[in-house]
Amino acid sequence: MRLKKHILLYIILLLGVIVTTLPMIYMISTSLKPNGALYEFPPRFFPSISEITLENYRYILNEGKFYINFLNSMFVSTISVTIAAIVASALGFCISRFRFKGRKQLFGFIIVTMIIPGTTLILPQYELAVKLNVINKLSGLIPFYVAWVIPYSTFMIKGFVDNLPHELDEAVYIDGGSIYTVYFRIVLPLIKPSIASITIFNFLTAWEEYPWANTVINDNMKRTLPIAISGFFGQHQFTQWGYVFALSALSLIPVILVYIVFQKYFVSGLTAGSVKG
Amino acid sequence: MKEVKRILAIFLLAVFCASALTACGESPAVSDSAKSGETVETKEPLKEGTSEEVVEQENITINFWHHYSAQSPENETLMNVLIPKFESENPGIEVNAVSHEWADLHDKILISAKSETLPDVARLDAAWIPEFNKMGVLVALDQEMNDFNEVSQGLLESAMETVQIDNSYYGLALNTNTKILFYNKKALEEAGVSVPTTMDEFIATTKKISGTNEAGQQIWGYSEPALSGWNLCPFIWSFGGNLTNPEQTKASGYINSDETINAIEMFAELYNANAITGWNSGDIPMTDGFGTGRYLMILEGPWKIAEMAGAYPDFEYGTAMMPAGNGGSASVLGGEDISMFNTANKETSWKFMKFMTSEYAQVEMSKCGQIPVSKKALENDIVKQADFAPFLEAIKVAKSRPTVASWSEIDNELNSAVTAVVNNQKTAKEAMDELALKVDKLLSE
Amino acid sequence: MLTRTTSNKLRILSLLLPGLIIFGIFTIYPILKLFIMSFFEWDLGSMFEQSFIGLDNYKNVLMDETFRISFVNTIVYTLVTVPSQIILGLLVAVYINNIPRLKISFRLIYYLPVITSWVIASLVFKYIFNTEGLLNYFLKDILSIAENNIRWLDSRIGGLSVAMLLGIWKGIGWNMVVFLAALQTVPKELYEAAEIDGAVSFTKFKNITIPYIKGTILFAVVMLTIGGFNVFTSIKMITGGQPAHQTDTVLTWMYYKAFSTGEFGYSAALSFIIALVLAILAIIQFKVLKRDS
Repeated sequence: MRLKKHILLYIILLLGVIVTTLPMIYMISTSLKPNGALYEFPPRFFPSISEITLENYRYILNEGKFYINFLNSMFVSTISVTIAAIVASALGFCISRFRFKGRKQLFGFIIVTMIIPGTTLILPQYELAVKLNVINKLSGLIPFYVAWVIPYSTFMIKGFVDNLPHELDEAVYIDGGSIYTVYFRIVLPLIKPSIASITIFNFLTAWEEYPWANTVINDNMKRTLPIAISGFFGQHQFTQWGYVFALSALSLIPVILVYIVFQKYFVSGLTAGSVKG
Repeated sequence: MKEVKRILAIFLLAVFCASALTACGESPAVSDSAKSGETVETKEPLKEGTSEEVVEQENITINFWHHYSAQSPENETLMNVLIPKFESENPGIEVNAVSHEWADLHDKILISAKSETLPDVARLDAAWIPEFNKMGVLVALDQEMNDFNEVSQGLLESAMETVQIDNSYYGLALNTNTKILFYNKKALEEAGVSVPTTMDEFIATTKKISGTNEAGQQIWGYSEPALSGWNLCPFIWSFGGNLTNPEQTKASGYINSDETINAIEMFAELYNANAITGWNSGDIPMTDGFGTGRYLMILEGPWKIAEMAGAYPDFEYGTAMMPAGNGGSASVLGGEDISMFNTANKETSWKFMKFMTSEYAQVEMSKCGQIPVSKKALENDIVKQADFAPFLEAIKVAKSRPTVASWSEIDNELNSAVTAVVNNQKTAKEAMDELALKVDKLLSE
Repeated sequence: MLTRTTSNKLRILSLLLPGLIIFGIFTIYPILKLFIMSFFEWDLGSMFEQSFIGLDNYKNVLMDETFRISFVNTIVYTLVTVPSQIILGLLVAVYINNIPRLKISFRLIYYLPVITSWVIASLVFKYIFNTEGLLNYFLKDILSIAENNIRWLDSRIGGLSVAMLLGIWKGIGWNMVVFLAALQTVPKELYEAAEIDGAVSFTKFKNITIPYIKGTILFAVVMLTIGGFNVFTSIKMITGGQPAHQTDTVLTWMYYKAFSTGEFGYSAALSFIIALVLAILAIIQFKVLKRDS
């Protein structure tokens, strides 16, 4: 009885897995076909063995631009998540632990900005970027990415710190320790998993961000990967799908690696937010 | 004591963060140098005089935006032949060429003009010149450059008209083009039809050769990649219609004239008979469709020859003039100009513009289907033997789209109106009457 | 005991400062600026000089037919994708929770679409739903369900449907993880008690699980509603608003008006309306959330 029920569940889940992975598998199989075969009839899900070619990957990897776009994405994402982690953990800690003036308003602002979709602010942020002279610069991406992820990150970390017992803090203060001692010695080590989880989340956000980068960056050599991918995508001429999908597959590798290595934190991070509500 | 140090350290960190993030400088100009510690690959230009540490013999960089598409032979020629040649002839000048998609380039320039972050030089669709001129961002070359007349006399007068507004010149003509009919030789022979020369023949042929192939796939007799002025005008004109009056001040009575309406109705009829397609998001892109025998006729420019040779080298096609209707055979005049923006480094930009319109550069570009406008280049043997001879014939009878500042908006409205017609949401009469009022208003602004 | 000394205040301030600076400059300032921009005309010339035109921008937005189309599209997108994601995500979570083995592997695979970037996922969907694409081949030539190739991407409903399918496909994983976590908090004793009473699976699910994870469901509703209004990249990549802006959502239309026609004032007013609508929606949702938990 129980076994039967389990088998049914496995079958349903496996069907779901097929639907979930099909698009990605099709993308990879297309990237392995020769470029000319993409509008052939009938379309095939898999290329025949003799047809499989790494030509598309060779083209992308031989074009120096790929490495530059890749490094740009890496640079922007890494710096953004680092700054965000430092800033948001300090904010979350203070908001959770201290009753300073304007605390409520600050937290309210953070919640409100979580609600407003990032893209609605693209216009005034563009104006700001012009004033700060960061148009067409990688430094025009980083602070905006940091600002976008701060509200959610702070919200998550505050939730995490709320759950830490106050006794530890008190013990430190009685021993003559300061706020810094509590923050650096007690809180930071304890919220490491939470920082890890928001960091992975933020990395994804920065790595795949499209509208802002597309608006601010002009030069080919400063484009991040999402812009490079969409640049391959000619409107009415002919789209070289083989190249598009080879580049896409390559750009997914770091994200999937990060995800598999840190997947434990991924879940715990999301949990904290949802349970708090 | 330790405490003080810590507070100090954190304050410093805060200040560092703030200053690193906000970068520096207030003057918004793209060609300023990046002082904010960017990565190695940013080959940022340094403008003379604007940097705090002017090194002797500092390179000057010209930012040049264009819409030669990234994977095209034109772009290869630009990056690997022309720019290296220019840079070796002009030591100390570097050209930073940036490729945008056609529509993106328009938008990027519009927004850069508003935010005062324009490049130095750009290759512009001739149809945009009035709009950007109205924004006041183009340099009037005849007033600023001493040797303008010399340079201008070396270029075709007809092409130079595209940059002339109120007796001033806001750029140099760079290349010219128009569209002619490309047809699938084999398919027309098999169907036993000759190449259409009149509008009636065109309609009949398009219907006749449409259908399904052996594999049961839909075949379309004709394909048009969009429904904007560039695509519709040849038909509207050949039907004897027009978009505006000759003075370009009024659209009512022209854009909704019977002739124009007939042209639009023809599009709708052929589309609904599954005889033309191409502008929908899900359609096969034009080059692929033509190369794989799914679209049998297209109206395209000289660049298509190089493109087909690259993507479908074995494919056999022929070319012919745009079929003639009551209004004769009238194709649409295209072409690009090279213009300088008023924030540019004028002397160096002018050097580059002269280079791009020189015989050498024009001959090199003609090898990938760019029709030269330099008189000397047109006399060159390589150009004379180029395969765009049929286009030169068609250019003589080609007409310009309205040269008004609001063209982009008119074009957009035209596209919306015709889309509604082909999708049977409005009759051609309704849609064009509504459109006429909107365009009248845009023209009067 | 922590005292309210000046040095303590300074220490707190020093920790807050980096965040306050970044948040202030890059988020608060743009919000205020957006509000100000929405009352000015920016259409001509430089964005640094402009004239005050009061509520005209708001009037233009609300009178604009395309805005209304895009607003309806956004609402439809949200109304369809939010419940679908939650139901499917919850189902997958419950199933995974009830199997003895391979839990982690399933969770990993179901989460893959979430980490796939929007640009890539949109291009893949566009390729599959192409009129000449794999799906139509499958429907027409293999299964013979469709007589002709279906024009998925070419109509308002079709284009939106593909974007919605993409949104659902990409969102199930996130919901699954959130609900899996919530399911761990339901005490096992409750189920055991119900089993003694002879309750069947569905009754247990309805009477025990759902009430217990209500807070999480509301949390998901809030987050997904924000996500639904934020839809941008998929529409831009898949249809680009075609045909004739029929498939635009509020944000793609706002972006078009701002960056293709340069009508900053219009776009600012539109953005502000959207932010306001969402803020009101979210406040209502949060109120409900608070009352129930």
